[in-house]
Amino acid sequence: MTEILSNPIFGITISLFFYTASTALKNRFKSHLINPLFITVILIVLTLKIFDIPLEAYEAGGNVITMFLAPATAALAYSIFQQIKILKTYAIPIIVGCTAGSLASMGSIYACCRFFRLDEVLTASLLPKSVTMPIAIEISRQLGGIPSITVVMVAMTGIMGGFMSHFMVRFFRVADPVAAGIAIGSSSHGVGTARALEIGEIEGATSGIAMGVCGLVTTVIAILLTI
Amino acid sequence: MKLFKQILILFSICLLSEFISKLLPFSFPSNVISMIVLLLLLISKVIRTESIRDISEFLLQNMAFFFIPATVAIIDEYDYLKDKILILLFISLFSLIITFIVTAFTVTLTTKLMNRKKRHLND
Repeated sequence: MTEILSNPIFGITISLFFYTASTALKNRFKSHLINPLFITVILIVLTLKIFDIPLEAYEAGGNVITMFLAPATAALAYSIFQQIKILKTYAIPIIVGCTAGSLASMGSIYACCRFFRLDEVLTASLLPKSVTMPIAIEISRQLGGIPSITVVMVAMTGIMGGFMSHFMVRFFRVADPVAAGIAIGSSSHGVGTARALEIGEIEGATSGIAMGVCGLVTTVIAILLTI
Repeated sequence: MKLFKQILILFSICLLSEFISKLLPFSFPSNVISMIVLLLLLISKVIRTESIRDISEFLLQNMAFFFIPATVAIIDEYDYLKDKILILLFISLFSLIITFIVTAFTVTLTTKLMNRKKRHLND
Protein backbone atom coordinates (compact mmCIF):
# COMPACT_ATOMS: atom_id res chain seq x y z
CA MET A 1 0.00 0.00 0.00
CA THR A 2 2.76 2.49 0.91
CA GLU A 3 4.26 1.81 -2.51
CA ILE A 4 1.08 2.96 -4.26
CA LEU A 5 0.71 5.98 -1.98
CA SER A 6 4.24 7.25 -2.52
CA ASN A 7 3.82 7.00 -6.30
CA PRO A 8 3.43 10.60 -7.64
CA ILE A 9 0.22 9.48 -9.37
CA PHE A 10 -1.53 9.24 -5.97
CA GLY A 11 -0.97 12.91 -5.04
CA ILE A 12 -1.86 14.13 -8.53
CA THR A 13 -5.02 12.03 -8.71
CA ILE A 14 -6.50 13.10 -5.38
CA SER A 15 -5.66 16.75 -6.16
CA LEU A 16 -7.42 16.50 -9.54
CA PHE A 17 -10.37 14.64 -8.02
CA PHE A 18 -11.10 17.10 -5.22
CA TYR A 19 -10.37 20.13 -7.41
CA THR A 20 -12.75 19.11 -10.20
CA ALA A 21 -15.39 18.18 -7.60
CA SER A 22 -15.16 21.50 -5.74
CA THR A 23 -15.07 23.50 -8.99
CA ALA A 24 -18.23 21.70 -10.09
CA LEU A 25 -19.77 22.59 -6.71
CA LYS A 26 -18.85 26.26 -7.21
CA ASN A 27 -20.37 26.31 -10.71
CA ARG A 28 -23.49 24.54 -9.47
CA PHE A 29 -24.19 27.14 -6.74
CA LYS A 30 -22.58 30.09 -8.59
CA SER A 31 -21.30 31.40 -5.27
CA HIS A 32 -18.14 33.40 -4.64
CA LEU A 33 -18.19 32.00 -1.11
CA ILE A 34 -17.21 28.55 -2.41
CA ASN A 35 -13.46 28.73 -2.94
CA PRO A 36 -12.27 25.61 -4.82
CA LEU A 37 -8.68 26.00 -3.55
CA PHE A 38 -9.70 26.03 0.13
CA ILE A 39 -12.23 23.23 -0.23
CA THR A 40 -9.73 21.04 -2.10
CA VAL A 41 -7.04 21.64 0.51
CA ILE A 42 -9.41 20.85 3.40
CA LEU A 43 -10.54 17.62 1.70
CA ILE A 44 -6.96 16.52 0.96
CA VAL A 45 -5.87 17.28 4.55
CA LEU A 46 -8.84 15.29 5.90
CA THR A 47 -8.05 12.37 3.59
CA LEU A 48 -4.41 12.30 4.73
CA LYS A 49 -5.45 12.49 8.40
CA ILE A 50 -8.25 9.89 8.24
CA PHE A 51 -6.17 7.29 6.38
CA ASP A 52 -3.02 8.22 8.28
CA ILE A 53 -1.08 8.95 5.08
CA PRO A 54 2.16 10.88 5.62
CA LEU A 55 2.46 14.33 4.00
CA GLU A 56 5.64 13.17 2.22
CA ALA A 57 3.65 10.55 0.28
CA TYR A 58 1.25 13.22 -0.99
CA GLU A 59 4.12 15.55 -1.82
CA ALA A 60 5.65 13.06 -4.27
CA GLY A 61 2.80 14.04 -6.59
CA GLY A 62 2.42 17.52 -5.08
CA ASN A 63 5.91 18.51 -6.20
CA VAL A 64 5.04 17.67 -9.79
CA ILE A 65 2.02 20.01 -9.62
CA THR A 66 4.03 22.79 -7.92
CA MET A 67 6.58 22.67 -10.73
CA PHE A 68 3.96 24.14 -13.08
CA LEU A 69 3.92 27.37 -11.03
CA ALA A 70 7.05 28.45 -12.94
CA PRO A 71 5.48 28.43 -16.42
CA ALA A 72 2.23 29.78 -14.90
CA THR A 73 4.12 32.86 -13.66
CA ALA A 74 5.76 33.31 -17.06
CA ALA A 75 2.25 33.19 -18.56
CA LEU A 76 1.37 36.33 -16.57
CA ALA A 77 3.44 38.16 -19.22
CA TYR A 78 0.91 36.96 -21.79
CA SER A 79 -1.97 38.59 -19.90
CA ILE A 80 0.02 41.81 -19.35
CA PHE A 81 0.91 41.93 -23.04
CA GLN A 82 -2.75 41.78 -24.03
CA GLN A 83 -3.20 45.11 -22.23
CA ILE A 84 0.01 46.63 -23.60
CA LYS A 85 -1.82 49.69 -25.04
CA ILE A 86 -3.29 50.53 -21.64
CA LEU A 87 0.13 49.93 -20.03
CA LYS A 88 1.75 52.42 -22.44
CA THR A 89 -1.01 55.03 -22.03
CA TYR A 90 -0.93 54.98 -18.23
CA ALA A 91 2.71 53.95 -17.68
CA ILE A 92 3.59 56.70 -15.17
CA PRO A 93 0.47 56.41 -12.95
CA ILE A 94 0.83 52.60 -13.00
CA ILE A 95 4.51 52.59 -12.00
CA VAL A 96 4.14 55.33 -9.37
CA GLY A 97 0.92 53.80 -8.00
CA CYS A 98 2.28 50.25 -7.82
CA THR A 99 5.46 51.42 -6.08
CA ALA A 100 3.42 53.35 -3.51
CA GLY A 101 1.02 50.41 -3.13
CA SER A 102 3.77 47.83 -2.64
CA LEU A 103 5.51 50.02 -0.07
CA ALA A 104 2.21 50.65 1.75
CA SER A 105 1.41 46.93 1.78
CA MET A 106 4.79 45.80 3.08
CA GLY A 107 5.05 48.76 5.48
CA SER A 108 1.64 48.19 7.04
CA ILE A 109 2.28 44.44 7.39
CA TYR A 110 5.67 45.04 8.96
CA ALA A 111 4.18 47.55 11.42
CA CYS A 112 1.41 45.08 12.39
CA CYS A 113 3.90 42.24 12.87
CA ARG A 114 6.02 44.40 15.20
CA PHE A 115 2.90 45.56 17.06
CA PHE A 116 1.68 41.98 17.66
CA ARG A 117 5.26 40.79 18.35
CA LEU A 118 5.17 38.11 15.65
CA ASP A 119 8.47 36.34 15.01
CA GLU A 120 10.71 36.89 11.97
CA VAL A 121 9.66 33.74 10.11
CA LEU A 122 5.99 34.68 10.32
CA THR A 123 6.76 38.30 9.33
CA ALA A 124 8.66 37.05 6.26
CA SER A 125 5.71 34.80 5.37
CA LEU A 126 3.25 37.71 5.56
CA LEU A 127 5.22 40.51 3.84
CA PRO A 128 4.46 39.48 0.21
CA LYS A 129 0.78 38.67 0.84
CA SER A 130 -0.70 41.38 -1.43
CA VAL A 131 0.96 40.16 -4.63
CA THR A 132 -0.06 37.41 -6.99
CA MET A 133 0.38 33.89 -5.56
CA PRO A 134 3.32 32.42 -7.54
CA ILE A 135 5.45 35.53 -6.99
CA ALA A 136 4.45 35.77 -3.32
CA ILE A 137 5.59 32.16 -2.74
CA GLU A 138 9.04 32.88 -4.19
CA ILE A 139 9.46 36.13 -2.22
CA SER A 140 8.41 34.35 0.98
CA ARG A 141 11.00 31.63 0.36
CA GLN A 142 13.68 34.20 -0.34
CA LEU A 143 12.95 36.14 2.87
CA GLY A 144 13.02 32.92 4.94
CA GLY A 145 9.26 32.59 5.34
CA ILE A 146 7.03 29.49 5.21
CA PRO A 147 5.40 29.30 1.73
CA SER A 148 2.26 27.47 2.91
CA ILE A 149 1.45 30.31 5.35
CA THR A 150 2.02 32.83 2.55
CA VAL A 151 -0.38 30.95 0.25
CA VAL A 152 -3.14 31.01 2.86
CA MET A 153 -2.59 34.73 3.56
CA VAL A 154 -2.57 35.60 -0.16
CA ALA A 155 -5.79 33.65 -0.69
CA MET A 156 -7.42 35.28 2.35
CA THR A 157 -6.46 38.76 1.10
CA GLY A 158 -7.87 37.91 -2.32
CA ILE A 159 -11.18 36.74 -0.91
CA MET A 160 -11.53 39.85 1.30
CA GLY A 161 -10.51 42.09 -1.62
CA GLY A 162 -13.08 40.40 -3.84
CA PHE A 163 -15.82 41.25 -1.38
CA MET A 164 -14.62 44.76 -0.52
CA SER A 165 -13.22 46.25 -3.77
CA HIS A 166 -16.57 47.51 -5.03
CA PHE A 167 -17.42 48.96 -1.63
CA MET A 168 -14.00 50.62 -1.16
CA VAL A 169 -14.19 52.36 -4.56
CA ARG A 170 -17.48 53.96 -3.51
CA PHE A 171 -16.62 54.55 0.15
CA PHE A 172 -13.32 56.34 -0.57
CA ARG A 173 -14.88 58.13 -3.57
CA VAL A 174 -12.32 57.01 -6.15
CA ALA A 175 -13.68 58.79 -9.24
CA ASP A 176 -10.85 57.95 -11.65
CA PRO A 177 -11.30 54.42 -13.13
CA VAL A 178 -7.51 54.10 -13.60
CA ALA A 179 -6.90 54.88 -9.92
CA ALA A 180 -9.61 52.40 -8.90
CA GLY A 181 -8.16 49.63 -11.12
CA ILE A 182 -4.57 50.08 -9.96
CA ALA A 183 -5.67 50.24 -6.32
CA ILE A 184 -7.68 47.01 -6.65
CA GLY A 185 -4.85 45.15 -8.43
CA SER A 186 -2.26 46.34 -5.88
CA SER A 187 -4.31 45.40 -2.85
CA SER A 188 -5.99 42.17 -3.90
CA HIS A 189 -4.19 40.68 -6.95
CA GLY A 190 -6.06 38.18 -9.17
CA VAL A 191 -9.29 37.82 -7.20
CA GLY A 192 -9.60 41.63 -7.07
CA THR A 193 -8.90 41.83 -10.80
CA ALA A 194 -11.77 39.45 -11.55
CA ARG A 195 -14.03 41.81 -9.59
CA ALA A 196 -12.52 44.92 -11.23
CA LEU A 197 -13.50 43.47 -14.62
CA GLU A 198 -17.11 43.45 -13.42
CA ILE A 199 -16.87 47.18 -12.48
CA GLY A 200 -15.53 48.26 -15.86
CA GLU A 201 -13.16 47.58 -18.74
CA ILE A 202 -10.49 50.14 -17.78
CA GLU A 203 -10.68 49.10 -14.11
CA GLY A 204 -10.18 45.45 -15.09
CA ALA A 205 -7.29 46.11 -17.48
CA THR A 206 -5.37 48.43 -15.13
CA SER A 207 -5.98 46.07 -12.21
CA GLY A 208 -4.51 43.14 -14.18
CA ILE A 209 -1.43 45.15 -15.12
CA ALA A 210 -1.03 46.48 -11.55
CA MET A 211 -1.07 42.89 -10.26
CA GLY A 212 1.97 42.00 -12.42
CA VAL A 213 3.82 45.28 -11.82
CA CYS A 214 3.29 45.04 -8.04
CA GLY A 215 4.72 41.52 -8.12
CA LEU A 216 7.82 42.88 -9.79
CA VAL A 217 8.15 45.95 -7.50
CA THR A 218 7.61 43.86 -4.35
CA THR A 219 10.30 41.40 -5.51
CA VAL A 220 12.75 44.28 -5.95
CA ILE A 221 11.91 45.73 -2.52
CA ALA A 222 12.32 42.27 -0.95
CA ILE A 223 15.77 41.90 -2.54
CA LEU A 224 16.80 45.34 -1.25
CA LEU A 225 15.65 44.22 2.22
CA THR A 226 17.83 41.10 2.16
CA ILE A 227 21.01 42.83 0.93
CA MET B 1 1.80 19.03 -31.96
CA LYS B 2 0.70 22.67 -31.62
CA LEU B 3 0.41 22.31 -27.86
CA PHE B 4 3.83 20.63 -27.64
CA LYS B 5 5.40 23.62 -29.40
CA GLN B 6 3.68 26.04 -27.01
CA ILE B 7 4.83 24.07 -23.97
CA LEU B 8 8.34 23.92 -25.43
CA ILE B 9 8.47 27.73 -25.82
CA LEU B 10 7.20 28.39 -22.28
CA PHE B 11 9.48 25.78 -20.66
CA SER B 12 12.52 27.01 -22.61
CA ILE B 13 11.90 30.52 -21.26
CA CYS B 14 11.69 29.10 -17.72
CA LEU B 15 14.93 27.17 -18.20
CA LEU B 16 16.68 30.24 -19.61
CA SER B 17 15.44 32.24 -16.61
CA GLU B 18 16.82 29.65 -14.16
CA PHE B 19 20.16 30.17 -15.87
CA ILE B 20 19.92 33.99 -15.75
CA SER B 21 18.94 33.77 -12.07
CA LYS B 22 22.11 31.77 -11.31
CA LEU B 23 24.28 34.33 -13.12
CA LEU B 24 22.93 37.31 -11.16
CA PRO B 25 25.07 38.44 -8.22
CA PHE B 26 21.98 38.65 -5.97
CA SER B 27 19.11 36.17 -5.68
CA PHE B 28 16.16 37.11 -7.87
CA PRO B 29 13.27 34.61 -8.22
CA SER B 30 13.62 32.86 -11.57
CA ASN B 31 9.86 32.81 -12.15
CA VAL B 32 9.72 36.62 -12.01
CA ILE B 33 12.65 36.71 -14.47
CA SER B 34 10.71 34.39 -16.80
CA MET B 35 7.76 36.81 -16.70
CA ILE B 36 10.05 39.72 -17.67
CA VAL B 37 11.81 37.70 -20.39
CA LEU B 38 8.53 36.59 -21.96
CA LEU B 39 7.11 40.13 -21.84
CA LEU B 40 10.24 41.49 -23.60
CA LEU B 41 10.05 38.73 -26.24
CA LEU B 42 6.38 39.54 -26.86
CA ILE B 43 7.02 43.31 -27.08
CA SER B 44 9.97 42.83 -29.46
CA LYS B 45 7.72 40.49 -31.54
CA VAL B 46 10.24 37.62 -31.30
CA ILE B 47 7.33 35.53 -29.99
CA ARG B 48 3.78 36.11 -31.22
CA THR B 49 0.89 35.74 -28.77
CA GLU B 50 -0.60 32.94 -30.92
CA SER B 51 2.53 30.83 -30.30
CA ILE B 52 1.75 30.55 -26.58
CA ARG B 53 -1.98 31.35 -26.41
CA ASP B 54 -3.53 27.98 -25.50
CA ILE B 55 -1.00 26.93 -22.89
CA SER B 56 -0.92 30.42 -21.30
CA GLU B 57 -4.70 30.62 -21.08
CA PHE B 58 -4.86 27.12 -19.62
CA LEU B 59 -2.29 27.95 -16.93
CA LEU B 60 -3.80 31.36 -16.11
CA GLN B 61 -7.37 30.08 -15.91
CA ASN B 62 -6.43 27.16 -13.68
CA MET B 63 -3.75 28.89 -11.62
CA ALA B 64 -5.45 27.96 -8.31
CA PHE B 65 -4.92 24.24 -8.98
CA PHE B 66 -1.14 24.62 -8.95
CA PHE B 67 -1.18 26.13 -5.44
CA ILE B 68 -2.90 23.12 -3.87
CA PRO B 69 0.23 21.20 -2.76
CA ALA B 70 1.90 24.36 -1.37
CA THR B 71 -1.26 24.99 0.68
CA VAL B 72 -1.64 21.39 1.90
CA ALA B 73 1.77 21.77 3.58
CA ILE B 74 -0.07 24.07 6.06
CA ILE B 75 -0.86 20.89 8.13
CA ASP B 76 2.67 21.08 9.50
CA GLU B 77 2.11 24.68 10.68
CA TYR B 78 -1.28 24.24 12.33
CA ASP B 79 -0.05 24.12 15.93
CA TYR B 80 2.16 27.13 15.34
CA LEU B 81 -0.69 29.20 13.85
CA LYS B 82 -3.80 28.17 15.79
CA ASP B 83 -3.65 30.90 18.46
CA LYS B 84 -2.73 33.59 15.90
CA ILE B 85 -5.65 33.23 13.48
CA LEU B 86 -7.48 36.39 14.58
CA ILE B 87 -4.28 38.45 14.38
CA LEU B 88 -3.62 37.15 10.86
CA LEU B 89 -7.18 37.99 9.76
CA PHE B 90 -6.78 41.49 11.18
CA ILE B 91 -3.43 42.04 9.39
CA SER B 92 -4.97 40.85 6.10
CA LEU B 93 -7.85 43.29 6.34
CA PHE B 94 -5.82 46.21 7.68
CA SER B 95 -3.08 46.06 5.03
CA LEU B 96 -5.68 45.51 2.29
CA ILE B 97 -7.42 48.78 3.18
CA ILE B 98 -4.16 50.75 3.67
CA THR B 99 -2.77 49.51 0.34
CA PHE B 100 -6.00 50.40 -1.46
CA ILE B 101 -6.18 53.94 -0.03
CA VAL B 102 -2.48 54.75 -0.58
CA THR B 103 -2.52 53.45 -4.17
CA ALA B 104 -5.79 55.13 -5.17
CA PHE B 105 -4.63 58.44 -3.64
CA THR B 106 -1.17 58.27 -5.27
CA VAL B 107 -2.56 57.51 -8.74
CA THR B 108 -5.20 60.27 -8.48
CA LEU B 109 -2.52 62.77 -7.42
CA THR B 110 -0.07 61.67 -10.16
CA THR B 111 -2.74 61.99 -12.85
CA LYS B 112 -3.72 65.46 -11.59
CA LEU B 113 -0.09 66.65 -11.59
CA MET B 114 0.44 65.26 -15.10
CA ASN B 115 -2.68 66.99 -16.41
CA ARG B 116 -1.62 70.29 -14.86
CA LYS B 117 1.81 70.02 -16.47
CA LYS B 118 0.22 69.22 -19.82
CA ARG B 119 -2.01 72.27 -19.52
CA HIS B 120 1.04 74.44 -18.72
CA LEU B 121 2.79 73.16 -21.83
CA ASN B 122 -0.28 73.90 -23.93
CA ASP B 123 -0.49 77.47 -22.59
